[in-house]
Amino acid sequence: MPKNSHRNIVSIIGKNDKILVNLSTKLGLSLDLSEMKLLQGYFEKEGREPTDVELNAMAQAWSEHSCYKSSKFYLKKYFQDLKQDYVYLAMEDDAAVVKIDDEYSYVVKMESHNHPSAVEPYGGAATGVGGIIRDVLCMGAQPIALLDSLFFGDPAFHGSKNSMSTRSLFSGVVSGIRDYGNRVGIPTVSGSIFFHSSYNHNPLVNAGCVGVIKTRDVIRSRISEPDYLLLIAGGRTGRDGIHGVNFASRSIAHSEEDSKSVQLGNPIVEQPLIHAILEASEGGLIAGMKDLGGGGMSSAIGELVHSGGIGARIELEKVLLKEEGMEPWEIWVSESQERMLLALNPSYYDKIKKIFELWDIEYSVIGRTENGHRLSITYNGETVLDLDLGFMTSGLEYERPFEVNPPIRGTFLPSEPKDFNSTLLKMLSDPNIGSREPVVRQYDHTVRGSTLQGPLSGRTNCEGPTDASVISPQIRSGKSLVITSGSRPLIVAANPLNGSKYCVIEAAMNILSTGGRPHSIVDCLNFGSPTHKKVMGELIDSIKGISEAARELSLPVVSGNVSLYNSYRSENIIPTPVILMIGLLDKSENIVSQFIPKEGLGIYVAGRLVSSLNGSAYEHSLDKESHDIDKPDLKEVKDFMARIPGCVEKGLIAAMHDISDGGLGVALAEMCLGYGIGMNVDIGGTGFGTPSQKLFSELGSRLLIAADPSKEELLRKEMGELRLTRIGTSGGSKMEISHNSVPIIDLSVKEMRESFSSALTALV
Amino acid sequence: MEGTNCDSEAYRAFRQSKFIPEFVHINELDRGKKRIGDYSAVFIPGGFSGGDYIRAGALFSARLRKHMPSIIRFVDSGRPVIGVCNGFQILADLGLLPDISGKQEREVALSVNKSGKFECRDTYLRVESDHKLIGSRYKKGDVALATVAHSEGRLIFRNEETNAEAEKRNLVLFRYSNQTGETAGYPWNPNGSAGDIAGLSNESGNVIGMMPHPERKLFVSRDHSVGKVFGQDFFSAIHDYAIKQ
Repeated sequence: MPKNSHRNIVSIIGKNDKILVNLSTKLGLSLDLSEMKLLQGYFEKEGREPTDVELNAMAQAWSEHSCYKSSKFYLKKYFQDLKQDYVYLAMEDDAAVVKIDDEYSYVVKMESHNHPSAVEPYGGAATGVGGIIRDVLCMGAQPIALLDSLFFGDPAFHGSKNSMSTRSLFSGVVSGIRDYGNRVGIPTVSGSIFFHSSYNHNPLVNAGCVGVIKTRDVIRSRISEPDYLLLIAGGRTGRDGIHGVNFASRSIAHSEEDSKSVQLGNPIVEQPLIHAILEASEGGLIAGMKDLGGGGMSSAIGELVHSGGIGARIELEKVLLKEEGMEPWEIWVSESQERMLLALNPSYYDKIKKIFELWDIEYSVIGRTENGHRLSITYNGETVLDLDLGFMTSGLEYERPFEVNPPIRGTFLPSEPKDFNSTLLKMLSDPNIGSREPVVRQYDHTVRGSTLQGPLSGRTNCEGPTDASVISPQIRSGKSLVITSGSRPLIVAANPLNGSKYCVIEAAMNILSTGGRPHSIVDCLNFGSPTHKKVMGELIDSIKGISEAARELSLPVVSGNVSLYNSYRSENIIPTPVILMIGLLDKSENIVSQFIPKEGLGIYVAGRLVSSLNGSAYEHSLDKESHDIDKPDLKEVKDFMARIPGCVEKGLIAAMHDISDGGLGVALAEMCLGYGIGMNVDIGGTGFGTPSQKLFSELGSRLLIAADPSKEELLRKEMGELRLTRIGTSGGSKMEISHNSVPIIDLSVKEMRESFSSALTALV
Repeated sequence: MEGTNCDSEAYRAFRQSKFIPEFVHINELDRGKKRIGDYSAVFIPGGFSGGDYIRAGALFSARLRKHMPSIIRFVDSGRPVIGVCNGFQILADLGLLPDISGKQEREVALSVNKSGKFECRDTYLRVESDHKLIGSRYKKGDVALATVAHSEGRLIFRNEETNAEAEKRNLVLFRYSNQTGETAGYPWNPNGSAGDIAGLSNESGNVIGMMPHPERKLFVSRDHSVGKVFGQDFFSAIHDYAIKQ
């Protein structure tokens, strides 16, 4: 071996189990014994010992984060055939591509950044945003909207020896999203925030991005031509984010080692990178592209060339570094941010060089594609990795043992509250229900000038929360995208199968109530440790639930992400499948407001009541939990999807809001917010049940509609067999609710607004 | 330059008002590939140029300062120079607004919002003068719905005299107000600006700067109760002015 060699051989052949396990720990590989033995077997056959670069490459390739070894089998089984003819690319490349019209598509992806955010909330959340933007960008698309679904522990959790308080995590995550999103100039338009003690040590940060592109300009995450240049552009490679994927593929220890695996973000590198990449992409200069995310170059290069059916030769010393003295394996797996991998026809090199120079983007050519199936890497002439790409990118697939808890039958039947007024005010100020305004105002949701409806709407400085945001992709056909994301963790915890269906239903209802037509589903599945049979049971049920709902509603699942090991000292989070749904709106003038715009409108409840408080915020507020959630009526949702857009297009609806968190009571109160107009209603006729069931049940799928009473006849005709109950009339500055003529609620819109606005004051 | 990010919507706004807009990167000026003097109007968009890590607009204005002679020639020719948000911060930093002294000294600063937070919200503007740049579409006393999104927008004058002089010379172009045109404190004034000032003009009236983003309000509101909008009309007014030049 020459002096100053960087070729480090690790001896594994013939080693016993104990040594193998120790090696995995010592090198930070996060591989278990059986996986180490697989590697041992491979190199025995190759007749040589591996290098440290090779072991690290395999460790990241086999991490849960990269190869979905615990979930892949079930994702394939339940999601594979959920396609519609308008889907251009689903579950293949770095992000999904779905056609809007004959010319344009939207590009969408959502990913978790949970583990990094738990140890370094500001950086973890910021790089989550940066990474998801690059996933959309690498398809060649202009990113046009960001969204985040966030889950934190009990607001009162003060932290422990190893974990931060909810308040510090919350403020770190929100600041991270704000500072990255605002600086990079993509509006943060939608999302959700939820608190539950099971997230005390494991907050969840799910970041989503939507982009737009001419369908024929889509750049694939693959390259099939030999002798093309492989080029890395953007940020330099450093020691930040080493072993990030391995960290994300085990339970959190909250150790110092964990903190080192969090990357650093710089939006002011990403922002011009977006410009430069889009310019190169419009000029047709890029043959294939991938974002350098989890697993760094190791993951991106392997996948880019292998999926195109060829090999590559890399010269690692050509990579631009942030610091000197980095070992080859560190360069190879570093997850430094703001880097893009491009495959380029060599004759376009001069053109792309000019673009990068204009935007002050650093870049270097690090290798070439070549025929064959091998990846070989040299560092200053010495071979440090030489692997068959089939083996390197194959991944593992487990069918881990699981158990599904049998449902425990039982309906939660509390005694009726003595004072519905104070009960409702308390619910409005619940951190899981009340206003997100203190957070939302910090996010720039109007940059790019295409936000037709943001997270808030209504009269200026009187605004209330919208059900979904509407973004114009600025395309000829004039169509807009309707965007929403969230989960129903309490209902999923009560019953993962039916609860997950409710997550899909809520997203669809949010899009309908904004005037759109549901179009596609992206999921982000956050669960505990897959080594626990119960968690595997929850995961499988949840995937099954989403799949059944999607099939029944004829919606494609176009992209997904799975985050496991959200556990701390063997305590798992409650199952949290986040659904991001995109809807289409043909004409922007058909956006429907969630707020009563004037007096004298009829107030209607559409859909059937399910008189059960199981899984509701009301039940949770009384510290109770139940495990009995009946199968939702997906046929009714399908009817809504068939009927509501017609009512909207015919101008029959003045305002509409879906009934979900907090039930009918909270939904009615919210409808009064945007313009400060009250109502007088009687909820007696909404179904069979107690007043509290009618006011606070969150099951079933229902919409609240405000409509001109003179159009009631037409509305009923258009709604077909859907149940439509008139409950009262808008007007005044108070919300008065009776139950079969007995007054139960009498509150001014002003006091409701005060309670609603106070929900997050302890945290912001 | 890097971090400038309200460019695509500004481009759209100018195109829709019949300008032929062109993006100019600061590197293109530095490298002599494009010249300010070749254009009929200059618009400095919003964003976080250079990350705003030192002070909002500081890096961009430092780079523009190298081109000061051609910028001053441009201003003296009477052609419009408009800065929105970060662009306003930059024009203030360069001493082009309000430029009471006529010597391009820094007379105002746009400091951190009184709330200490980034504020993304709608408010109203009251037009304070019959101004030559926007007069074809907005008259003194008009009230228009506008949108802001910034964390450093609180206008502070260098001293009392500058403040008094700016008022005396009628250099205040817009003030934040409520829908009926009364100044009404936070959140109508989102940042705590002195005198509720939202935008300034220079004395000859061809350099203006403002925190609100007209380029974000190009679409017609569904809600007709909002009244006049500070959006597409602003750019049409600039075009009306430019073709008369």
